Amino acid sequence: MRRLLHVVLLGLLGAGIVHIVVLMLVPEFSERDAWSRLAMASDLYKMTRLDAEAGGAPVVKSVDPLFYAAACRFDLTDGLVRIKAAGRVPFWSVSVYDRNGHNIYSFNDRNANSGTLDAVVLTPAQMIEVRKDLPEDLQGAIFVEAPIDEGIFVIRAFVPDESWKPIVSRFLSQSSCELPDY
Amino acid sequence: MMSGKALRAFPEKPLHTFRHHALTSSWKAERTCHAAPRRDIPDVNHPSPVFMLKNALLTLIALAIAIGGGGASVWYTLRAQDGVGAIRIGQWTAFPDIGTPAADPYSKARVAREGVLALGRAEGLSFVAERDSSGDTLKRECAYRIEGGLPTARFWTLYAADESLGVIDTGKQRPAALQSYEVMRQPDNSVAITVSGHPAPGNWLLSTGAGTMYLVLTFYDTPIASSTGLSDIEMPRIQKAGCDA
Repeated sequence: MRRLLHVVLLGLLGAGIVHIVVLMLVPEFSERDAWSRLAMASDLYKMTRLDAEAGGAPVVKSVDPLFYAAACRFDLTDGLVRIKAAGRVPFWSVSVYDRNGHNIYSFNDRNANSGTLDAVVLTPAQMIEVRKDLPEDLQGAIFVEAPIDEGIFVIRAFVPDESWKPIVSRFLSQSSCELPDY
Repeated sequence: MMSGKALRAFPEKPLHTFRHHALTSSWKAERTCHAAPRRDIPDVNHPSPVFMLKNALLTLIALAIAIGGGGASVWYTLRAQDGVGAIRIGQWTAFPDIGTPAADPYSKARVAREGVLALGRAEGLSFVAERDSSGDTLKRECAYRIEGGLPTARFWTLYAADESLGVIDTGKQRPAALQSYEVMRQPDNSVAITVSGHPAPGNWLLSTGAGTMYLVLTFYDTPIASSTGLSDIEMPRIQKAGCDA
C-alpha cells in the first residue's frame, strides 16, 4: 500500500513536469497556428482575406462579424515590406504579428497621415539603411520597426452596415503587400 | 555470516546431485547451490519474475499518471474560457494580454493552438460573457436584456456567438450582430438591448437556434485597451427575460 502511494505521488510529480513541458512545446509544434493556416491558404506577400465573405471557411477564426480583414505573410530577410491601401472606410486598423502570432505593433486610421494606409515594416538594421537616404515616396509612410524575420501583417476594416460591404471589400482587395527595391 | 556457512555447507552436499544440476543447466545449478541459505536476501542479479512484474506494473502506473495527467491537464486548461490573465468585470471577461509577447504561457499556447490573431492595443479589446447576472449559462433559446453604461470607445460591436466564438448563423438577412452607431440610447447615454429570437422594440440583437451562447462585446480604438484604463470601468448587466418552452 505504501509502495502504491509512493508510485501515485511520483506519477503526480511527473504529471506536473509533463504539463509544463507540453505547455512550452505547444507553440513550437502547433500546425494550427495563424502562420500555418495562412501558409496553407496563400503564398508570401499575397493579401489574403481572413473573413468568410470571400468564400469558404474563414482562414483565421474569431474575426468580428462586422469586420472584414486581410492578411499577408512576409519575411524581412528578403528586404523591407510595404503595405498600401487606397480608399476611405469608416475605420481601419493594422496589426503586425511575429511568426508565433504575437501582436508586436498596432495602429489605426487616426495614426496615419490623411487617413490613408501606407506602412513599411522593416528591421532596425534596415531602418538605419533607409534613414541614410529616405526615398521620396516613403515620406508619408508609417515605419514599423520590428526585430523579427517572418511575420504577418493584418488589416481590419469596419463594415457598419450592408451598404458599406462593397466599399470595404474594394478597400481590402486593392491593398497591396510588396517588396520594394531600394 | 550466511555465505561462510554456505561455503562450509557446500562440500557436505552429495557430489552427484551437484553434477546432475550442473549438467542440466549452469543457471539452475547456481540457484540450487545458493538459493537455500540466502532465501531472505533478494537476489539483485536474478530477481523473481513476480517481483519484476510488480515493479514493471508500478513503473507503468507512474508513467501513465505522469503522461496522461500532464497531457489532460494542459488540454483542459486550454479549453476553459477563463484562464490565467483574465480580467472579469461583472459577467464580462477579457484577456488584455493575449497575443502579446508579454502573455503568460497558457495564453501563448492557446494562441498557437487556435490560430488566433488577437486584436492589438491600438485596435481594441474584446469582452466575452458566458453567464447572465444570476450565474446561469447563456442559452440561444432564451431572451436576455443587456442594460447599462459602456466604457469610452470610438465605437463598439456586440454579437452572439457559438462555442467556437464564431458569430451565430441566423440564416436570415439580419446578422446576429449590432454596433454602436446603430443603437438607440437612453437619456443618460446608456444602452438597453434585447437579445431574442423574436423581434423586440428598441435595440434588438437576433439570436436563433438552441444551445450554449456567448456574447462578445468589442470596443475599438479605446483607452481601456491599455491596462491602466481597466481599473474602474462600467460594463452592462445581462438579465434573463424568459425562455422559449
